[in-house]
Amino acid sequence: MLTTNSKNIPSIIIVVIALGAILAGGFALVGGFDIKNANHRQNNSAANEGAKTKAVQPVTECYESRETYGAVTRIENVVPQYGYPNIKCSKTTAGVLWYGDPFDGTIPMGTMPEINDSTHGDFTNAVVRPREPHLTYFNMGPNGCVTCHDGKTVPFPKDKKPRLITMHTDIVADSTQLKHGRGAMWCLDCHSATNRNKLVDRQGNEISFNQPQRLCGTCHGNVYIDWRAGIHGKRIGTWAVGGKKRWWVCTECHNPHTVQVNRFDQIKAESPPPLPRGMTSANYE
Amino acid sequence: MSEEIIKTNIEADGVKQGRRDFLKNVGIASAAALVASPASVEASAGSANPDAGITVAESLQGHFVLMSDQEKKTAIERLEKRYTAQYGKKTTVSDVPAPKGVLFGYALNISKCIGCRRCVHACVQENNQSRDNPEIQWIQVMKIPKGNFSFAADKLDTGYPKSSKLGDYGVQVGGNAYTAVGGLSPEEVQNYYPQDEAVPDKNYFYVPVQCQQCEKPPCVKACPVRATFRDPNGVVVIDYNWCIGCRMCQLACPYGARRFNWGEPNIPPEEMNPKTHYFGNRPRMRGVMEKCTFCLQRTREGRNPACLEACPVGARKFGNLLDPTSDVRKIIATKKVFRFKEEMSTYPKFFYFIG
Ligand code: HEC
Ligand code: HEC
Ligand code: HEC
Ligand code: HEC
Repeated sequence: MLTTNSKNIPSIIIVVIALGAILAGGFALVGGFDIKNANHRQNNSAANEGAKTKAVQPVTECYESRETYGAVTRIENVVPQYGYPNIKCSKTTAGVLWYGDPFDGTIPMGTMPEINDSTHGDFTNAVVRPREPHLTYFNMGPNGCVTCHDGKTVPFPKDKKPRLITMHTDIVADSTQLKHGRGAMWCLDCHSATNRNKLVDRQGNEISFNQPQRLCGTCHGNVYIDWRAGIHGKRIGTWAVGGKKRWWVCTECHNPHTVQVNRFDQIKAESPPPLPRGMTSANYE
Repeated sequence: MSEEIIKTNIEADGVKQGRRDFLKNVGIASAAALVASPASVEASAGSANPDAGITVAESLQGHFVLMSDQEKKTAIERLEKRYTAQYGKKTTVSDVPAPKGVLFGYALNISKCIGCRRCVHACVQENNQSRDNPEIQWIQVMKIPKGNFSFAADKLDTGYPKSSKLGDYGVQVGGNAYTAVGGLSPEEVQNYYPQDEAVPDKNYFYVPVQCQQCEKPPCVKACPVRATFRDPNGVVVIDYNWCIGCRMCQLACPYGARRFNWGEPNIPPEEMNPKTHYFGNRPRMRGVMEKCTFCLQRTREGRNPACLEACPVGARKFGNLLDPTSDVRKIIATKKVFRFKEEMSTYPKFFYFIG
């Protein structure tokens, strides 16, 4: 499992908000976390007003399917007609709950080569959120990964033999134990040896980080066919066939370096439903 | 998309007769009461009387489907005015008709669902449910242990009444009130697993349940005033203003999908969704039923439902059942699909699948 320090941010925000609400309002929030519901009833007491202004601050740093690797920022009034922000997020987990504009921050999916599947994929109006801005190492220098991997600063690898790598341990903790492909795979089965800004498939075609599906699809044919058909993965926007859709690419859900540990990394659940009237705990559910 | 929608007339067949005659007298009586109290005539937000915003004219309006175009326009303007005042922001109430040639269907992949409940809260954001007192959610996620359809030998002879040294009393055919044999016991299905629990737990699978939009909806049969009916897209909708709050539909529904506003709904104005539809997410009143409408304020205009868009694993799929190239039809054609409580013969248009 990779860990990065920014993972903790959402919970810190929550704690701050909760503390603020409790201090200002003197609220004994039932269950300790019901900020969402506690404060919006019309109430004239000055103390409660204070709590109200604190609690209504929307969460702005959010994530979609992968914590840290699916980060999105809430922007106000993206759809002025309804005063919609681009997204609304959970106050407890910072997960994105709702899209004011499903196409916010997207780019065209790019060319998608035909494969021999019956549905052919419906890519006419396909858009995606680019992956490159999410990659820490990609954004370290002006030339992306090539800033370091230019053949001089970091020499190009001589062969595709697995070895211990002392760099990138936050991404792959132990390169001799890559958690994808049960020991049969190496970095350079996916990353280009000479142009590190690109992924590379088995035929040696360079593939952008924004189109990982073209790489993953070469080995995961069945899933790829389902993904192209709209069955695996996720698409939002219009429901009609041929309509504009934002597609989720493989790496928006899967961490290619740890899939063997978790196909999909665990996330936190949102708050449970209200208990039936008169019930005080769900212990005897 | 909205331009593409051809104007259609909502099928009125289902509601033509069946006025709420038996309630006529009651209706007149309460109307009299309303007229007598001047507070109800003036729309005013936040006053002591929770129904104060609702005007007499609104209380007396007819069934929406049977209204003339002019009546509809007036009714909608009345609502827009009330909501705009109540929530302090420009609110639109649309009456976009159901698109032609479309039968909405939903498919949910239970092998992907991780039980994060984002759909539940996305739905609340989109559909203006009351946030507390009463707290209303249209989707409920069941957490069910894997591989536990308890025909296992060790389960067969455990159960109440336990044998004591005095002997065995009562007939016990395996299982008990708490752990039924061969079925999912209420003890094993968990709906209230806590917030912040890391999901998915690999020992469980998760089944979200919401209105199944039955082709033969028992709730519609149960409604004495036809306030709830199936629209031309196959979505079961409610005219909240026509609903009398008798809750017969809630009892009739085998899926527990319907919710009742026991009190004045509470929606924080800053979170209220001002894009609404008459049969969809417009704020409800106290004393009326509500439930999932497949987000018809979105889906009638071509957009996906909010729960689908929120699902982080892409377990939810939506589309036109009449279009063989739609996601839902492809799933029905190629995956293992089942309907919930199929034996009830309700013919849901909500499908669960694996794969
Ligand atoms: C700060 C400089 C730096 C940046 C930026 C950087 N890398 Fe590296 N990377 C290294 C070093 C140094 C090594 C070699 C470590 C070793 O040989 O032990 C390395 C090794 C690797 C390897 C192992 C294979 C090899 O070449 O030996 C891969 C794969 C890799 N990097 C991918 C990337 C990708 C993808 C990016 C951009 C997203 C990136 N790196 C950006 C410094 C960098
Ligand atoms: C299955 C194909 C695959 C293999 C094998 C693989 N990677 Fe990656 N790697 C990717 C993809 C795809 C991305 C882009 C991830 C994303 O979009 O979130 C990536 C991203 C990276 C990044 C950039 C991450 C960041 O946040 O900046 C580094 C560094 C990296 N890989 C290093 C390695 C190293 C080192 C190895 C070998 C030990 C390796 N990768 C093996 C597919 C692979
Ligand atoms: C070079 C071939 C190759 C590529 C490229 C590749 N994978 Fe894999 N992947 C494998 C193999 C081999 C396994 C192990 C399958 C097994 O254990 O049955 C695997 C396993 C997985 C699994 C777990 C499946 C399981 O059965 O547990 C996931 C998820 C996955 N890959 C996703 C991806 C994604 C996402 C990408 C693109 C970034 C990708 N793969 C690219 C070969 C590949
Ligand atoms: C919206 C999120 C999402 C996207 C996008 C996505 N997946 Fe998955 N994928 C999942 C989930 C969730 C699972 C099930 C995980 C589990 O079983 O625990 C899964 C399972 C898998 C598996 C293993 C099980 C199986 O079904 O065979 C593979 C392989 C896989 N995905 C590959 C891919 C590839 C390749 C892509 C891109 C073409 C992709 N996924 C896109 C969410 C996603």
